[in-house]
Amino acid sequence: MTIANDPQKRIEQYLDTLRSHLRGVKEEDVQEFVEELRSHIQEKTSVTGEMTISGVDKVLAALGNPADLASEYRTAALITKAAASGSPMRILEILFRWASYSVAGLFVLVGATGGYLLGGVLFICAMLKPFHPQTVGLWAFHDETGDLTLSFRLGSATPPAGAHELLGWWIVPIGLLVAFGLVVLTSRLALWCASRFRRSNVPESDFSVDTTVERHGYSHE
Amino acid sequence: MEIGEREQLAGDKWEVQLRKGCLELAILAALWGGRLYGLEILRRLEDDSKLIVSEGTVYPLLSRLKALGLVNSEWVESEGGHPRKYYALTKSGKQRALEMAGIWTRFSSSMRKLLSPLSGGK
Repeated sequence: MTIANDPQKRIEQYLDTLRSHLRGVKEEDVQEFVEELRSHIQEKTSVTGEMTISGVDKVLAALGNPADLASEYRTAALITKAAASGSPMRILEILFRWASYSVAGLFVLVGATGGYLLGGVLFICAMLKPFHPQTVGLWAFHDETGDLTLSFRLGSATPPAGAHELLGWWIVPIGLLVAFGLVVLTSRLALWCASRFRRSNVPESDFSVDTTVERHGYSHE
Repeated sequence: MEIGEREQLAGDKWEVQLRKGCLELAILAALWGGRLYGLEILRRLEDDSKLIVSEGTVYPLLSRLKALGLVNSEWVESEGGHPRKYYALTKSGKQRALEMAGIWTRFSSSMRKLLSPLSGGK
């Protein structure tokens, strides 16, 4: 019997496709998710007492495209892990994924990268200040056009002529505090945006009013 | 696209967003009475709230709620021979459900006041 007319093979094909789109997710989690869906399919198809191709197709159609389902699961899993770990690397991983197919995601990625970079520079400034007190810090100077420019200097190179340092030793506590605050704020904002996106990314066909969808083929207990 | 069609589309989109926003609270509320497995949760949402969702949408959300510690789960063998994954609210899940229900009640009460002039049928 071929896949085209074997209900069981049709189910396995659906679950295999789902599994193939879940690469990178922990095997244990994939197994749990696939088994839960298998249980769902078995229960719904067993209502009629006989498993038929049309019955299985109806159940699989109600579950939705396996690639979309896997994408929804992966995004939810990533956001949950990132929120739990609070790691900027995890958060940037989600944002890269989001930015790969959304302009909004790209904007959030650029914003978050900027936030983390500025936080990193402030942190490095605070750490290097004791070793290069004459050069490291926040400097203000006038450029060639006469405009006032603010610059974080991290190395031991001599600051431009006429430049003066703004914070002095205060760069250490202020730098550490602001760096910490920036990283936390960037993480929270990025997760908030990603979480909003996750909700609004569910295809509209996933939700409909009861009068416009086909009723499910199960009986009420 | 005609202006009427665009307005209809915008209205539909708004309703879709509204329903999506409620789904997490709806699942937590469905579990308030005791443990349920995925299909039972779907039936409960459909019967009690007319909140029809794609069946596939609920499972990733349940997995997320579990990862956040709002629900826990256990596999139980059914009479039909296949195992079912039952979900139940944890202590923090109950707490979260109460918080969300409070926010929802206050919000819907404010909206009802605001919308009362519109309910005259004019």
